[in-house]
Amino acid sequence: MDDLEGKKILVIQTHGVEAPTRTYSPLFYAVAAAAMEMEVMVWFTMNGTNQLRKGVAEMIKLDPSSNTCLKDMLQMCLDSDVELRVCQQSLNLWNMTPDDLIDEVEILGATSIIDLALNYDHVMYF
Amino acid sequence: MISKVNECVLFTNLHYKVEDNTWVRVNDDGTVTVGMTDVAQSLAGPVLHAKAKKVGTVRKKGRPIATVESGKWVGPVKSPISGEIVEINENLASQATLLNKSPYNEGWVVKMKPSALEEDLADLLTGEEAVKAYQAKVDADGITCTHIEGTEEY
Repeated sequence: MDDLEGKKILVIQTHGVEAPTRTYSPLFYAVAAAAMEMEVMVWFTMNGTNQLRKGVAEMIKLDPSSNTCLKDMLQMCLDSDVELRVCQQSLNLWNMTPDDLIDEVEILGATSIIDLALNYDHVMYF
Repeated sequence: MISKVNECVLFTNLHYKVEDNTWVRVNDDGTVTVGMTDVAQSLAGPVLHAKAKKVGTVRKKGRPIATVESGKWVGPVKSPISGEIVEINENLASQATLLNKSPYNEGWVVKMKPSALEEDLADLLTGEEAVKAYQAKVDADGITCTHIEGTEEY
């Protein structure tokens, strides 16, 4: 575990509000990696983008046993210094503009994901 | 010696880093024991896994000495002091809920040899000061501690 400190993990999330059970674990893993002192980024693209629309994540319940919602997990990521990025081109799929996004997300283009994938130690794709 | 704020237990002889929900006990042999508070275990819920850093790891205060995960939460246990880990609580590997059931005794996380104890203790709160700070925290955050079956009686 100690050898992993400072490693960089890129989590690519392609699932969104239509599949809540596929949104929970990637964000949980991202927070876990941050707790292990890794540098972590979650990249939202394809359907993953739609969970970043303001006011949406609050409505998505993930775990009936604890009432955890998707917004809680996104907030847990931010509290753990996990960076959230969204694919610019994917916004069009959901008729979204930058103003529709929650505040803490940065928009990057397709070439950035290639750079990131090559520069991170590991990519987890969901 | 024992105080309660919103059902959250505090031992007034310990030194607390209130914002990180950790505590320090100064031992007679020059080491300190570090653990998570009752507030921390309550927020996390039943702990599934706890992994401490290896013995010999040197940490500055604020850096993680362990990671803890429950069904709904995962996060670091941040060291309230600087020093070297000299012992880890091996029992947590097979009984992670000791963190819930006995956060100040059997559920300790690591023992450390401090490198700047006096200076680090000055940044922590103890006694009535700690109780007051925790009262403010649980009130502000709307926290009332809950305890799982088998929790130590106080």
